[in-house]
This record gives sequence, structure tokens and C-alpha cells, in this order.
Amino acid sequence: MSNDNLHDLLSITHLTDSAYILKMSRRGLQFRAGQHILLGKAGSIHNREYSIYSGDTEDFIEVLVKEVEDGLVSKQLKKSKPGEKMQIEGPLGFFTIEPELIKTAKFLFIATGSGIAPFHSFANSYPDINYKVLHGIRHGNEAYGKKDFDAEKYISCTSGDKSGDYHGRVTDYIKQHPVTPDSHCYLCGNFNMIHEVFDLLEQQSVHPDQIHAEVYF
Amino acid sequence: MKKIAFKTLGCRLNQYETDALASRFHSGSYEIVNYSEQADIYVINTCTVTNQSDQKSRQTINQPAKINKDAIVVVTGCMANNYKDSLLETNNISYVVDNERKSSIYSIIESHFRGEAADPEGFDKDLFNYDAAYKTFHTRSMIKIQDGCDNFCTFCIIPKVRGRATSRPAEDIYNNIREVLNYGFKEIVLTGVNIGRYKDQTTDFEQLVENILNLPGDFRLRISSIEPDGFTDRFFELFKHPKLTPHLHLCLQSGSESILLKMRRMYTAKQFSSMANRLKALYPDFNLTTDIIVGFPGETEEEFEKTVSLAKSLSFSHIHTFKYSVRSGTRAERMQEHIPEKLKNHRSAIIRTISEENKRNYILQMIGKKQRLLVERIGSDGFARGYGENYIPVKVKSKHLEKNQFVDVIITGHDKNFDGIAILA
Ligand SMILES: Cc1cc2nc3c(=O)[nH]c(=O)nc-3n(C[C@H](O)[C@H](O)[C@H](O)COP(=O)(O)OP(=O)(O)OC[C@H]3O[C@@H](n4cnc5c(N)ncnc54)[C@H](O)[C@@H]3O)c2cc1C
Repeated sequence: MSNDNLHDLLSITHLTDSAYILKMSRRGLQFRAGQHILLGKAGSIHNREYSIYSGDTEDFIEVLVKEVEDGLVSKQLKKSKPGEKMQIEGPLGFFTIEPELIKTAKFLFIATGSGIAPFHSFANSYPDINYKVLHGIRHGNEAYGKKDFDAEKYISCTSGDKSGDYHGRVTDYIKQHPVTPDSHCYLCGNFNMIHEVFDLLEQQSVHPDQIHAEVYF
Repeated sequence: MKKIAFKTLGCRLNQYETDALASRFHSGSYEIVNYSEQADIYVINTCTVTNQSDQKSRQTINQPAKINKDAIVVVTGCMANNYKDSLLETNNISYVVDNERKSSIYSIIESHFRGEAADPEGFDKDLFNYDAAYKTFHTRSMIKIQDGCDNFCTFCIIPKVRGRATSRPAEDIYNNIREVLNYGFKEIVLTGVNIGRYKDQTTDFEQLVENILNLPGDFRLRISSIEPDGFTDRFFELFKHPKLTPHLHLCLQSGSESILLKMRRMYTAKQFSSMANRLKALYPDFNLTTDIIVGFPGETEEEFEKTVSLAKSLSFSHIHTFKYSVRSGTRAERMQEHIPEKLKNHRSAIIRTISEENKRNYILQMIGKKQRLLVERIGSDGFARGYGENYIPVKVKSKHLEKNQFVDVIITGHDKNFDGIAILA
């Protein structure tokens, strides 16, 4: 593990006008899929939390960032150039899967927007994991990382048009396709979605101990 | 002999660290005097958890200059981490020592008087290098088992000022406890920032508590303040042990599911309730106390009502009420819809009233029941005062009691503050 927390920016890939992936040198940073880092440009006093997008076997670290209107750090990071140094603190957080469950349990991952990041890391870190992912987005072009999930396990729910696998919000999907109580549910992204889904899952008899949430904003 | 005075603000952990420092100075031939007295050295162990604690800390820092303008003033604690640069520019402060180097304050002062360089930055960082306090300002001996927090609740500055979660080696904790038991302490209180996350190799929090309970000696153990997340069945079982006191300070913060999510707490209100109810079902007189934050950004009347309702139904016998206070650099600072101070005051008053009612009901529930009182002081009115195992303040009249003695009493009533009045059992 490195003794400073500076990592080289290897590349920046723009997925849409506002979403991009930052790929950085790993420098031995140990993490568990689902954790996040505090990321900022080297020398800046500002940093923000970003879930790790890449799998734990890669020799780099990736994050998926959605630029926020009037946002400070998500705008700064977008202007970064390969070769620049990035400052990473962490890994942090408890939005992880208990090792003994990875091979045995059934998982439902529910995301909005860039909240797909930790699930991308789960799917890449644990190739045998039994999961289904619901990705709530407005339009089909926001289905970040779709190709990296097993096609039959990934369902995009588009609310703005019919380009997704399902037309409507993730909450509509869950109402129409009730979740079985044995599912371990991971919710990530927008607060309103998480709040609503929590209620729905409880109504569908999923035990609260099997519901995990990572609220971005 | 040089005179030194200490002042502690904020949490138990600070209190523990001050006690340990005071003990170190005492055995190093310094005379410990009250903070309001003339001293050669003043040590202020500050707190920065709210705006109010910042203000109190600043007032306390300014006091020594009025008593002895030549005194050495050492500022340590969370404010020293949070506002280091501005404190360093303050005229009447001699040293600013961060939390990581707090345990070096004795060495820093000794170097100072030897005329050597005493720049705190030159001293080693060590979160746990504190002497066992053989003489503290309390009858209970606090034992630091952990420091820092990784939870990053959106309102909280603690991870910034106390750093990442770090656990003290279990063997050091057992040795520390053996030492204080030898000094005669009869109550051990575990302290740290987030003690439930304790982990030293294979020893987790439950295992640590179990091992401490199995140490020989006539003592009792208090877990005190803990975050309500990740409790296993084993945790609930621990309280069957007669040495573990049936009391927890379980931090609720809000009774609203939506506010808890925005705070990024690690539990839901439903989970909290079921933990609390399970404790009360297993141990009927179990005493729960808590912290509540009112006026978190965006808190609606409806959300606040959820807190009110839980504060009543879980009948916490004491609620430490905080008005939400913006801490620079936290996520909550950047949230919309901050609540006006007037409304926060109003909500805070409501919770405080509930706390008082709950306290009254709890003491009424305990009348006629036995408590094992640990005598903390004997007043001039002939009453011995202290706490029962359920953390009820109790006073009992008897000629034959001594400080630091266990005595079985029966609660017979209460005074105007709803503290217990008892007779010998
Ligand atoms: C644990 C955790 C993990 C996270 N992981 C990711 C991730 O993987 N990818 C990612 O893109 N973001 C992630 N976030 C959100 C991220 O930390 C920042 O909040 C986000 O990038 C905005 O920062 P900013 O400095 O640009 O905006 P700020 O200057 O902080 O905020 C500007 C305004 O936008 C609002 N705002 C903040 N965040 C959002 C948002 N996401 N959408 C809309 N409005 C917002 C604020 O309330 C504020 O009013 C995560 C957050 C947390 C807590």
C-alpha cells in the first residue's frame, strides 16, 4: 500500500455529456466491493465520496461520476486530464456483502443513476454471485456499464422514454414484480427512491436486516 | 511544586483522557488545582461537536489569561484538530496539541520546563498511550478501548477530528482494567467514539465485553454510549451477566426513517425500536438513555412528530437533546432547507419536556425495587450519593457508609429532581 494517498489519473471516459469514469492507479489500495473513497484533485481542500466502480481484482481504481448542476467537485473532476494526481482517502463504508453470503444468497441490487457504481463493483468482484439489478434512469443512454452485467440479470427502468428494458420507475417495477422475502436487497443512489423502495420491500415481507442502503443525496 | 489545572469539555472520552493526563502529572510531582485557581499550566481539552461547544471551548481558553497571564496554556481535543491554524495564531495559547498527540502533553510540558524544543508536532502520535488513572475526578474508572469513527454520518465532524476507527489491543485493555481494579475502582466504563465497532484481530466488541466480565474482582461494567448498529444475539445475552449494568446510552438521533436516511445512520427507526423493545422485554427495568438531534436540515413537522412519538414510546429515561448545528465540511452543511433557530429551540424544548416526564415515570417504576448503589460521595447532609446499576442517581441516609463502597438499597421515593431516595436493603 502506498504511503501517500496520491494516485495517477490514467484516463477519463465520457459516457454521456454529464457522466464519466475516472480510472486511476490503484497503488495497492485494498477495498471491499461496495465501499467508497473520498476523492479530490491533489492539493485541493475539496473532496467528495465516490463509490468504487471497478472490481477488487483490477490493478486500477475506477469511479463513475455524474456531474451535478451547480456542483463543485463533480465539475472539477470532469476537467481533469490523464497524468494528473488525484487524492484518495479511504476506503470507507459498510455497504458491503458478508463473505459467507456471496456464494449462497440471492441478491437484488436497486440503483438510480450513478448509484449503479457499487453494483458494478459487486458484479466484477464476485463473478458467481446470484443477482438481479434494477437500474432507474431517465433515458436509455444512462445505462452506465450495462454491458458489464449479465444481460439477463440487468433491467434498466427508464422513466423518460421507452428505450429501457422496462418503462417506468424502479418502484413501479417492484410493485409489478414483487420481491421474494429471501432476497438480500441493496439500494443505492437517490434518497427518494431509497425511501420509497424501503417501504415497498417491507410491505413485501423482506426483513429489514436484509435491506442495505447507500444514500448519495 | 508547579500547579496545573485541567478543564474538560464534551464527551466521556475527553474526560477519560483528562483523567489519565491528570494522573500522569500528579505522579510527576505537579499539584493539581481547580481551573478557577491560580496555576502555572492550564490544559483545556476542547470539544467541537456543535457551535455551542466551540463557544464554550473558546470561553474556557480565554479564562486563564484573567487569572495568570504568564501561565502556559495548552489547548487540546477536537477543537485543536478542527481549528489548529486559528488557535495557533491566538496570543494567549502556548501549545496546540492535536488528539493524536494528546497523550504526550506531559512530555511536552516537561520539555518546556527543561528549556528544550517542545513543538507538539515533534512528539509521537499515540491514541492509547495513557496511564491508568489511579486518581480521577470520579469513582468510576473510564477505560478507552477505541478511538475514531468510520460511519461518516452527514451531520458529524467527529471522523474529521478524531480520525478513522482504531481499536486498542485487547490485552492492553485487560491490563489497564486489572490495574484500575487494583487501585480500588469498582465500576469500569468503556469509552471510545464508536465502541460497538471494536475489533482487535479475532476479538470483537461482544468478545471483549465477555472477557472483561470474566476478569476476577468485585466490580461492575458499564457499556454506556454505543451506536445502535450491528448488534448480534450475543450482544443481548451479555446483559445476563450480573457484572454488566442494565443501562445503555443508545443514540437514536431521529425517529423519522427519512431523516435517519439523510443522516446516513446505519439503522432504521423500526430496527432501533425492535432493539430497544427486545432489551426491555428481556430485562424489564432496563434503562435506556439517548441522544436526539432536532432541526436537521429539511426536518418537517411530520418527521419531528415521529421523533416525539418514539421518544415517548421507548421511554428513554434521559434524552440528551442537541439542536442541529452546521459543521463545516460535512455533507449536511451542503443540504437544502436549513431550519430556523427559533424552530429548533421550540422542538428542543418539546423533547426536553418528554425527557423529564420519562425520567419521572422511570423512577416511579423503580420504587420498591433494589439497586446496588456505588457510593460516590457523602454529603454534609448525611446522605450518601451515587448511582445504582441501572444508572439511577440515588441517595441514602446512613452513618456507616463510605465512598467507593457497594451497598444494596431499596428505592422508596424521589426528590424534586426525580433522583431516587432509598433506604438500606
Ligand atoms: C457514500 C457516497 C457515495 C457516493 N458515490 C457517488 C458515485 O459513485 N458517483 C457519483 O456521481 N456521486 C456519488 N456520490 C455523490 C457525491 O459524493 C457528490 O455529492 C456529488 O458528486 C456532488 O458533489 P459536488 O461537489 O459536485 O456538488 P456540491 O457542491 O456538493 O453540491 C451542489 C448542490 O447539488 C446538490 N447535490 C449534491 N449531490 C447531488 C447529486 N448526486 N445529484 C443532484 N444534486 C446533488 C447539493 O445538495 C447542493 O445543493 C456519493 C455520495 C455518497 C455519500
